[in-house]
Amino acid sequence: MNEMFTTGLSSEPPTDEPLVSVRDLHVRFSTPKGPVHAVRGVSFDLGRERLGIVGESGSGKSQTGRALLRLTAGNGSINARKMVFDGLNLMRASEKTMRGIRGSRISMIMQDPKYSLNPVLTVGAQIAESCRRHENISKADAKKRALAMLETVRIREPEKVYNLYPHQVSGGMGQRIMIAMMLITNPQVMIADEPTSALDVTVQMQVLKLLDDMVRERGMGLVLISHDLQLVSSFCDRVLVMYGGRIMETLDAKNLDQAQHPYTKGLLNCLPRLDGTHDDLPVLKRDPAWLTEPEHADGGLS
Amino acid sequence: MMIDIKDLCITFGAGNHQIHAVRNANLQVAEGDSYGLVGESGSGKSTILRAMVGINARWTGSIEVDGNTLTPKRTVASRKHMQMVFQDPYGSLHPRRTVDDTLSEPLVIHKMDKREDRIIRILKEVGLGPEFRFRYPHQLSGGQRQRVAIARALILEPRVILLDEPTSALDVSVQAEILNLLSDLRKTHGLTYIMVSHDLAVVGHLCSKIAVMNRGEIIEEITEEQMRTGEVEHDYTRQLWTASHGYDRAALESFREFA
Repeated sequence: MNEMFTTGLSSEPPTDEPLVSVRDLHVRFSTPKGPVHAVRGVSFDLGRERLGIVGESGSGKSQTGRALLRLTAGNGSINARKMVFDGLNLMRASEKTMRGIRGSRISMIMQDPKYSLNPVLTVGAQIAESCRRHENISKADAKKRALAMLETVRIREPEKVYNLYPHQVSGGMGQRIMIAMMLITNPQVMIADEPTSALDVTVQMQVLKLLDDMVRERGMGLVLISHDLQLVSSFCDRVLVMYGGRIMETLDAKNLDQAQHPYTKGLLNCLPRLDGTHDDLPVLKRDPAWLTEPEHADGGLS
Repeated sequence: MMIDIKDLCITFGAGNHQIHAVRNANLQVAEGDSYGLVGESGSGKSTILRAMVGINARWTGSIEVDGNTLTPKRTVASRKHMQMVFQDPYGSLHPRRTVDDTLSEPLVIHKMDKREDRIIRILKEVGLGPEFRFRYPHQLSGGQRQRVAIARALILEPRVILLDEPTSALDVSVQAEILNLLSDLRKTHGLTYIMVSHDLAVVGHLCSKIAVMNRGEIIEEITEEQMRTGEVEHDYTRQLWTASHGYDRAALESFREFA
């Protein structure tokens, strides 16, 4: 099975080369109510960094993440001028090549562990399966790797947890198990779609720290998709702000307070603040012109 | 005091499997005030609201609202004064009933007159036009649904409204609109709120006093001033406060479990 991963791939890319490069990505769906243009010309590069994609529901942020793995639903179509991962053209790759990439070189963490884990398999078996599916190793070795991975994601008593079913673990632990499952193949790119939205704040921070460790220690590229602008900006290196399927603005996370686009400013202002007053919150006013103006659509890239 | 709760204990199950969801909770809320309950999932904050409103009858202790002592068994009239808004506007409205049906039902139960006038007036108050009156929930956005849920609570002219995570399912821009609406309604009707949330900033925005819960106990009551400065007594509260400020790698090292 291993040769599948090497076909068409350059060996070690130069480090300044982005891991993923996307230009002019479009995702369209045909629905009974007519076509829906969910992602409209998104361009970005991902290096060995933490990139945040922020937007409200329906902004196309999740569809952008899914398009990278070509996991768009059956009634959708993906178009892009360029969508390259590590020298491999993702637009042209065969379904077989994509199966080799998904979960092995690009992984995705879904939002809700309750619905993303198989309820009739123990969590350990699921983690080991992910490992065995992509690498030619024995069951015993896979179990060893799975136990080691559970320890990496700070689960106490991994031996005990290995034999639990998804309904027996808490939300925070379930999310750590998902992360363990996705990290065990040592992916180069991780797409995390709202990985912490269902979790309590303190657990949320611990889960983010795990992802942070992977970026720092393994040089992984991380795409963090979230609706929480404050959280993303405190965690990521760069933030793409999306609205209506387009990138409104690309920001260095530490310069969030210097955001230029009225949408980003509006999003920031309508958040209640811990040090704020009881006065009415400013309400976000949307401008239809945001969806037609050309300058931000390419995310600051040509 | 509008609301006076003393030694409230709520348990689920029996024998070895008994779970103490709420232990000896005490809280007082003055009329027209807005009181917050924060804590992580499983801390018992929603359980307190459910006991107050009468959904859960298995509790001990005393709950006094507007001078009347409430017992686990409620009369129709006593339910009128306290209404609840639930977390999930997608689950709390009947999918096959129009907005008009949803708003009429409490009026019928409580035998209130001038139903049509009341419905039109309440829709206007929560910022929905008369065109929404005969729509079904699937024809409404999340924010509009939550406005209907608020209208349903408000139409009985209650004195107290219990808010169980009223904005956690909404986008931040819609959350701002709903929070503004709630604070306007409180001022115009002199309502008393108890609001439950896991989001310290949301509770802090609406409430002047906040109780922090952990594992069924109210561990600390903090004021809005303490909320701004972070000068709190309890380590758990401080950890929650720190975590609410976003990702901070250094601060995370000191995080621990509180049992």
